[in-house]
Amino acid sequence: MNNIAIQADKLTRKFGKFTAVDDISFSLPYGSIFGFLGANGAGKSTTIRMLCGILAPTSGTGKVAGFDVQTQSEQIKAAIGYVSQRFSLYSDLTVMENLLFFGRIYGLVNSVLKQRIQEVLLLTGLDKYHDRLAGELSGGWKQKLGIANSFLHNPKIIFLDEPTAGIDPIARRSIWELLYQLADQGVSLFVTTHYMEEAERCNTIAFISQGKVFKMGTPSQLKHEISDQLLQVECNPLLKASQAFSKLEGVMGLTVYGTTLNINVRNLEQAKVLIEQAAKRENINITSMRPIPASLEDVFSLLDIEKES
Amino acid sequence: MRNIKAVMFKEFIHILRDRRTLVLIIVMPLIQLTIYGFGINTDVRHLRTYVYDQDQTYLSRQLVDAFVQSDYFAIAKKVHSLREVQDGLDKGLAQVALIIPPNFTGDVLKKKGSQLQMVIDGTDSTPANVALNSSQAIVNFFLQSQGLMQVLVSPVDFRPRLWYNPALKSSYFMLPGLIGLILQFMVPMITASAIVREKERGNIEQLLVSPIKPYELILGKIIPYVIIGVLIASSIVMVMHFIFRVPIRGSPLTLFWLTLLYLVVCLGIGLWASAIADNQQQSSQIVMFFAMPSILLSGFIFPRETMPTWIHFVGYFIPMTYFLKIVRGIILKGMGFFDLIEQVWPLLLMATIVIIFSIKRFGKRIE
Repeated sequence: MNNIAIQADKLTRKFGKFTAVDDISFSLPYGSIFGFLGANGAGKSTTIRMLCGILAPTSGTGKVAGFDVQTQSEQIKAAIGYVSQRFSLYSDLTVMENLLFFGRIYGLVNSVLKQRIQEVLLLTGLDKYHDRLAGELSGGWKQKLGIANSFLHNPKIIFLDEPTAGIDPIARRSIWELLYQLADQGVSLFVTTHYMEEAERCNTIAFISQGKVFKMGTPSQLKHEISDQLLQVECNPLLKASQAFSKLEGVMGLTVYGTTLNINVRNLEQAKVLIEQAAKRENINITSMRPIPASLEDVFSLLDIEKES
Repeated sequence: MRNIKAVMFKEFIHILRDRRTLVLIIVMPLIQLTIYGFGINTDVRHLRTYVYDQDQTYLSRQLVDAFVQSDYFAIAKKVHSLREVQDGLDKGLAQVALIIPPNFTGDVLKKKGSQLQMVIDGTDSTPANVALNSSQAIVNFFLQSQGLMQVLVSPVDFRPRLWYNPALKSSYFMLPGLIGLILQFMVPMITASAIVREKERGNIEQLLVSPIKPYELILGKIIPYVIIGVLIASSIVMVMHFIFRVPIRGSPLTLFWLTLLYLVVCLGIGLWASAIADNQQQSSQIVMFFAMPSILLSGFIFPRETMPTWIHFVGYFIPMTYFLKIVRGIILKGMGFFDLIEQVWPLLLMATIVIIFSIKRFGKRIE
């Protein structure tokens, strides 16, 4: 067996005339966290559904854990774990009863199952809640239960569809710690999210928009690509400045951050000159202007601009 | 098999935790049994009767007595004017008024032909009919027993006899039918909502990515409700037999198997409702939509024989129509399986159609 956990080859899915996923190709090795980023409706969930074997692709192929998504969906289902965006375990069953039920339908025999349940409860910290009804857990714990449930049967790959949507920052951090622990054990995680700071935590990320993958790489690679294209300008009056600078030649994007402007430019030196000229003309007072390292959010907003042009 | 068992086990936990449904399952049949067993009584007895006796003689009092003795009439009030009679009927205080003219005894004895009048409130046709028919017989019998009318000797000795329900108790007719009614209401309702709930709460998403097969899921979810259906049916039969004293003349085993067949049809209706509904409210509306005509058109209360042809025809598409004949046939008449074959095959056909259809629909929905 080779080291490829997930491979997508020109994967496409259409719903009527609408193309939800358009010709996506990528391959992921085992033991990493793959972040799939995009706005709502970009095609993230459709991609996951195809890779999990519950939605047939219109064209293209894919392999998950070595099984074909078109023909071997049953084997795929047994080999993967899945955590949905919305809590989808039984809220009127206790934590233990949920795990027993799902463990059984994954074919775990009782002696193994009992032991596995103890392991996942300890790892997720859910052991103190084992006889609590799932519906009475808080959002963060519910999601942890979903994650505990997804690796009960020791899958090599887990798909997580926006596992932290609508969850408070502290719980989110502890969920990510749990995900790192899983990745350390050699489990591959396929995570969709639209939180940029979460994307920073992934080994590899891909940006998807309108069904297409626009950029893929490690977070530092992606940030490096645009690192010499970002200027931070402190100036006032801010509103007037943002209007004046955004019209300048070579300015591709402009974001207001508190008292400063982050300006995406095509060429750093050229832009500096143009901005200074504009400031003089419009009577804008610039206190400082320096190039800064990019964040993933900048990468993301720049992508949007490139796509339009 | 393991998967089916796992789903069944989980489903029983759901049922036991869901207090509202549990109460519904236990209490609804009890309420229905009480209403139909004690409350709804189509046997007309003790009609509220006003008596306006203007004669006030021994004979007139004997006549009033004869009416009371018959048990069909009960004196609500003795009145002294026609206005009171009118008033009583208008306000519904009286259903019937017996008006005995002055000089009743005198005219009868002189064979002058006396006019005895009875006014009946005809708004409700059932008691009105009973009053009409029984009063005639009561008067004739009274005159004969008083020697005031010649007893005719008929060349034919006509003796009508009532079979199966000699006392004409309506509970004999209603309670076996109630098995059909309650199963038709509750079984589709609880099955549909159990399945739709998985859809509504998003559980189906988790099940889809698991290795469980659709048929395992459906069977695992359905079997607990078959068991509950059987329990409901048996408890109705018990109460009917031991509390309301309705005899069971046929084979309980035949009754069991044919009830199971009917149960499958009811489950199928529930499955079908769950396949087209998106939430529990919709599914119960669909079930109600089918249950309502069943009560009216199946012969549960109203005889199908009196219905216009096309409505009578619609009744053939209602499973309860066949089941009522089966259940009444077995319980009251002691009919066997082969006597009932004409009701069995339509139910078999319905069961097959509805199950195949809903499994297909269900499979598509999962895509």
